[in-house]
Amino acid sequence: MSQDARSVPFYDQPRGFFRSVALRRTLDGMTTSSAWIGALSMVALLGIMMFVIIRGAWPAVEKFGFAFIWQSDWDPVKQQFGAWPVIFGTLVTAALALLIAVPISIGSAIFLVRLAPRWLVGPASFLIELLAAIPSITYGLWGAFVLAPALQSTVMPWAEKSLGKIPVIGALFQNDFGSGYNMLTAGIILAIMVTPIVTAVTRDVLRSVPPELEQGAIGLGATWWQATWVVLSFSKMGIFGAVILGLARAIGETMAVTMVIGNTIQVEPSLFAPGQTIASLLANQFREADTDMFVYALVYTALLLLILTALINGVARVMIVQVARRGKRR
Amino acid sequence: MTIATLQTTPIDTPPVIKQRPYNMRARVMSRIIMTLCYASAIITISALGLIFGYVLFKGFTSVFNIQIASWMSLLSWQGLSQAFSSMNLDFFTKLPGPPGDRSGMSNGITGTMVLIGMASTVGVPLGMLCGIYLSEYSREGWFSHALRTIVDVLAGVPSIVVGVLGYELVVVPMGINSAWAGACALAFMMAPIVSRTTEEMLRLVPPAYREASIGVGASKFQTLFRVVLPAARSGIITGVMLAVARVAGETAPLLFTALASDQPVIAYSSSFPWIYMDLNHPFPSLTVQIFKYASSGEPDWIRQAWAGMLVLITIVLVLNMAVRYVSRNRNIKVKA
Repeated sequence: MSQDARSVPFYDQPRGFFRSVALRRTLDGMTTSSAWIGALSMVALLGIMMFVIIRGAWPAVEKFGFAFIWQSDWDPVKQQFGAWPVIFGTLVTAALALLIAVPISIGSAIFLVRLAPRWLVGPASFLIELLAAIPSITYGLWGAFVLAPALQSTVMPWAEKSLGKIPVIGALFQNDFGSGYNMLTAGIILAIMVTPIVTAVTRDVLRSVPPELEQGAIGLGATWWQATWVVLSFSKMGIFGAVILGLARAIGETMAVTMVIGNTIQVEPSLFAPGQTIASLLANQFREADTDMFVYALVYTALLLLILTALINGVARVMIVQVARRGKRR
Repeated sequence: MTIATLQTTPIDTPPVIKQRPYNMRARVMSRIIMTLCYASAIITISALGLIFGYVLFKGFTSVFNIQIASWMSLLSWQGLSQAFSSMNLDFFTKLPGPPGDRSGMSNGITGTMVLIGMASTVGVPLGMLCGIYLSEYSREGWFSHALRTIVDVLAGVPSIVVGVLGYELVVVPMGINSAWAGACALAFMMAPIVSRTTEEMLRLVPPAYREASIGVGASKFQTLFRVVLPAARSGIITGVMLAVARVAGETAPLLFTALASDQPVIAYSSSFPWIYMDLNHPFPSLTVQIFKYASSGEPDWIRQAWAGMLVLITIVLVLNMAVRYVSRNRNIKVKA
């Protein structure tokens, strides 16, 4: 016996604002459409971004082609642009940052998970996560007014006199420029910015390891490091993903680098040489680009940065999704 | 009754030959690496703590314009009172001006708040809708996987590229830098973050809620708006606050879009809307102002840059701590 809204007794009649089926169906349709609009707007945002950036860079892409990536002459006067110096600067500062940050971050994460006294874990994690949230101009200001002068007056002269005399690697420490605003300072600042992220993610990854692994190792007579090594090998993928996240941050970082890198487009082997990254190039020169081709070349570098960052983020995402999937399967 | 005591003489104890344990190399290495881990943790915490402390101290003295002749002067009562007498609240009340004049960054603080407000009106709804789609409406097919990847890519775009995008998209057609361009760039950055956190929070709502709601005959709209969203309400709010905190500290998107200005945000006019906000011209913001001042060479401006930075850090940290406080019972990943 089928019932409808007219054949049920009064106490079972639908009541309330939403009693009409038509109203509910229309509202359902509206929310579904809105959700679809939201989803498609994200796709549209990506599409708009790719379209605008490629269109803004296209004349430079046509004129310079792929050679843009390895040519070195950046000359606004002669309208000849080669982006290798800024790509070099981006890669070198990021590499420096990772070189300094990764051992220290992984060591700190191991400390937090396996060595720290109980009362220290909470406050230390809190401090590290808070420092990940600090805006980047803060690090830029500190680097420009505290670190750069300090390096300039203490480390750089000493390094040039002592390490600069060693035959091959001495070239790394030539201090012809006399300024604290150089790639090394930028690398150090980036390392400081990358450390909280890598530490936090590595700590999470290490914590998600099933305890049977280290307990089994200890039961077999392992030393502390041997047991920790087992935990680390289990989390290889996740730690790699954390490092890649840090790399993505280091490459895309603008303000902190702009204030300490010295704003000079050149390729020099010395750590103490001022340089330029893609992000700092854009920050320093975009507003003063006078000719059209200059702007197109700048947007071309932005396109390169975008592609680089998207690739790195994609790789990181694959790594971390694998860790999550493995955690779920247990 | 005698208590039997075991009288040991040196002759009675068996000879013990001390040998190295078989895993001595492993033990030594374990100790070494343990020390390294301690050292790296100490380096991290002390470096970050020192930077933080210095920044806070320098910012605090700069905001209130406390002139400290030297550290020693603080030890005497006269030195202290002198330091405090030079203190003033100019930073929060005056507009930017030439160095040396009594100037401040009052328009920067209001400007940042206006820009964030404008960006949120577009960025937050779009992000929330996308998050709702991903958690409520999508089947786990290729489209939702691709959409999540797209959201992650959008969230990872470097902020300077977002600034270039805002320039090409809004400033070039409009012909002028304006607050609209700045708000667009900031909204572009907010939407993916809000989408990610909304989706995460909605996933945390137990499916039993949705099933029960449908079981009593509610439609999808009713389930979503009267059961699921209220259940995830605090999580979604924390997600929005996180996005706001992230965007409040961003400089690069605003460098080419909203630029900076010395005008007050709220101007007074003589006819009907007696207050007026000029959104069609370069717009002040705290972050860009800080950058401009810091890269100038003027000591007074540099002091103001430190002051502005303290205000910025305070806003960002207060927001982050509020997020932590509200979400203290959940397992929320606070990803930057």
